Amino acid sequence: MLEVSGLTAGFGTLDILHDVSLTVASGEFVGLLGANNAGKSTLVNCLSGLVPARRGTIRLDGEDISGMPPHRIVERGIVQVPEGRLVFPQMSVLDNLKVGSSTRRSQLGRTSKLEEVFALFPRLHERMEQPAGTLSGGEQQMLAIGRGLLSNPRLLMLDEPSLGLSPLFVQTIFRAIKALNTSGLTILLVEQNLNLTLSCASRSLVLERGKIVIEGTADELRQDPQTRRAYLGL
Amino acid sequence: MLIPEFLQTLVQGFLLGSTYGLMALGMAIIYAVSGVLNFAHGDFLSLAMYLCLAAFSYLAFDPYLASVIVIPCMAALGMGFYQWLVRPMVGRQMLMIVQLTLGVAFMVQSGLLMAFGGQPKRVPSVIEAKLLIVGDVVVRGPQLVALGVSVVLAICLYLSLNKTSFGREVRAVQQVPRAAALMGINVPRTRLITFALGFAVLAVAGILLVPGLPIHPSQGLRYTVITLMVVVLGGLTNFVGVLLGGLLIGLAEAFGTVYVSGVSGFVLPYLIFILILLFRPKGLLGGAA
Amino acid sequence: MLNPSFWTLLRSPVPWIVLAVAVSAPLWMSPFYMSIAILTLFYVGFAMAWNIVGGISGLLSLGHSIFVGTGAILTSALFLNLGINMWLGVVIACVISALVGAVISWLDYRFRLGHLSFALITLAFAEVFLLVVLGTDFLGGASGLILPNDTGNFLQFEFGGGRGYFYLSLSLAVFALLVNLLIINSPLGYFLRCIRDNEDAAQAIGIDLLRCKMVSMAISGALSALVGAAYGRYMVFIDPYLFAGLNLTIEVVLVATIGGLGTPFGPLVATLLLIPFGEVIRGHLGGVLPGLHTFIYGALIVIVILAMPRGLVPTAQDWWQRRRRRGEAAQEKPELQRGLKPPTPMED
Repeated sequence: MLEVSGLTAGFGTLDILHDVSLTVASGEFVGLLGANNAGKSTLVNCLSGLVPARRGTIRLDGEDISGMPPHRIVERGIVQVPEGRLVFPQMSVLDNLKVGSSTRRSQLGRTSKLEEVFALFPRLHERMEQPAGTLSGGEQQMLAIGRGLLSNPRLLMLDEPSLGLSPLFVQTIFRAIKALNTSGLTILLVEQNLNLTLSCASRSLVLERGKIVIEGTADELRQDPQTRRAYLGL
Repeated sequence: MLIPEFLQTLVQGFLLGSTYGLMALGMAIIYAVSGVLNFAHGDFLSLAMYLCLAAFSYLAFDPYLASVIVIPCMAALGMGFYQWLVRPMVGRQMLMIVQLTLGVAFMVQSGLLMAFGGQPKRVPSVIEAKLLIVGDVVVRGPQLVALGVSVVLAICLYLSLNKTSFGREVRAVQQVPRAAALMGINVPRTRLITFALGFAVLAVAGILLVPGLPIHPSQGLRYTVITLMVVVLGGLTNFVGVLLGGLLIGLAEAFGTVYVSGVSGFVLPYLIFILILLFRPKGLLGGAA
Repeated sequence: MLNPSFWTLLRSPVPWIVLAVAVSAPLWMSPFYMSIAILTLFYVGFAMAWNIVGGISGLLSLGHSIFVGTGAILTSALFLNLGINMWLGVVIACVISALVGAVISWLDYRFRLGHLSFALITLAFAEVFLLVVLGTDFLGGASGLILPNDTGNFLQFEFGGGRGYFYLSLSLAVFALLVNLLIINSPLGYFLRCIRDNEDAAQAIGIDLLRCKMVSMAISGALSALVGAAYGRYMVFIDPYLFAGLNLTIEVVLVATIGGLGTPFGPLVATLLLIPFGEVIRGHLGGVLPGLHTFIYGALIVIVILAMPRGLVPTAQDWWQRRRRRGEAAQEKPELQRGLKPPTPMED
């Protein structure tokens, strides 16, 4: 479904990603691991169109989407749940979710999608009228995922969904992500939490200083001595 | 204190304040979606008034009729302003953007001076001399129209921002532009439309103010200062607060002029503004900014 | 404690040649250009005074008309109404301006105003000041004040004709520039730059924010008042809208920004180029197209901010250095990190 080849990107005069290539097949659950500053978020933002690609191509079902503005990428079905959640703090939970379905493609199925999200996260249903800024961190993460789901994604990219959450919430969130994948949604999960990711993802990539250094299944990665080294950024 | 005089002042302040509120609303919408505090706002208001003058001199249009020309022109200008001047500045320092708009203010003001000369001008209107007298209170026709239009427009804006999907998109862009883009909102287009809307509201304020008012090319800065005061009083992005701020400044101006002798009367709105900046930097309602 | 670069500057021949040419100007300049030169030099004075706050400390003050106005109007009013010698009046005006400046800085510090609020509050104070001047008969009200004819009596703060005012404005401009250089190369200037770049960090390493801010604003205010008084005496008619109005300050701010803030040379060069340019246009086309010169200022600031974010002079310096470096065929790697900005992914 998604094919990235030779992607180079960065800010100012500095390149952060160097010649990154990866593929994600339909229905897959791919983990993207790496230490701080390895370039994980830059990669995801590049796929979302927030950071322009310097070189290389990003293809979605054969169509080159590099250089497209973010809203057109969302329209095509690549949706990001950003790091730090970035909910709209002064809007109600319901309005936040509705913003999720801003593209024409996602507006049609809004009601059924809403029900789906409320079934996945009943907590959000309880807090429907509350401003999102008053939710706890875990609830905000649920909201951010729910909002992403309302965009009717074909590929959902989650950037560090476990960041700053209590273990209990982390479990809830990951169970939900897994469930989404089981029901057929393609997932690209960016995480620092190694074990958690390996236990969910069918295949993982490790990014080190802007390059993909290891790629494989959970078992392959667990056995690879390079993993720990790369992961610690040594 | 004389009751009739008090009532008259109250009504005057209220009428003045509603137009100030409308002026400030135009600035607040633009600030909300783009973070640009437009120091050329008053000069664009001035420009709208001069467009009314031009429509009157060349086509003999009444200011209210001229709105069919002035509002679209100003909306288009707002779009150009965003596209060519504001959009390239995304991510730059706030004060640089402020200075950019100051530069634009200079251009508009000097342009008006070149086009229309430095003499004060007036744009007459058919209802200019009409008076409404209720008891001891006298209200000029244009002021009454201004009040009515301001209230209706404010309600419309409030509803469209809070109840429509476009309004939701605007609020999303205002609160977290990055997340808005990630949710599939075309952020530049939303900003473009909002600039058009803000300038259209400004044009309406100009049309409402102009009948019978002496206008001068250098008046813009004063309107900018008043608008800035109102917007800051209202808490920048709190649209209800902005309307209240307009009323407060209008009332302060009316009461200051009538009841406080001499110069300190004129100074009253500014003193209120300074105190609010110091003690309630998030505006009167102190709401979330 | 002075930075050696200050002495290097004094030792290099360039400033002395410029000064010598400037001093000899009355010998070869026509009266029309002479008046432009005087005006330009007064503007240099204003720009340099403003630069202490706006450039070195990075605070966008839109309220310097308070100081300029105090210098011109109060000095004249004290003389005309109470017969106080204008030299003494200048001292009084400078002291008052310094105090007002210190109070504004105190407010800024006490209420942690932030950059935008600082700009707004100075704007509001300036508007209040204008209204007070317009409404106070002692200060001339809306009709302004008219000083008696200049008889060249130096003891009465009179400087004779064009030549006298030329030298007056020249020495004020040089003095204001020197004050800037002295501040920049002193510990105060270093502290101010720290505060400009990061207020919290500056406070954390023990810089006395309040004192630095108050001192810089007081110096800037007093200097503005001094130049304002001289400009007022030169103009004879003390027009409240000119001296207490906002336009003069905004014009100075815009011209300084076009030049490039941070060093005094940006504002200096831009003032020296733009004010004569504007005046020549006004002199030749003012009758046909009044406002053309301010229109051009406005357009220039817009272009410069869009195309050269750091201003004319720093951009020109960069360009020159890059050219020279290329000329030397330096094989060292270009400094990759220099242009590095914090990663602000586009939000548009």
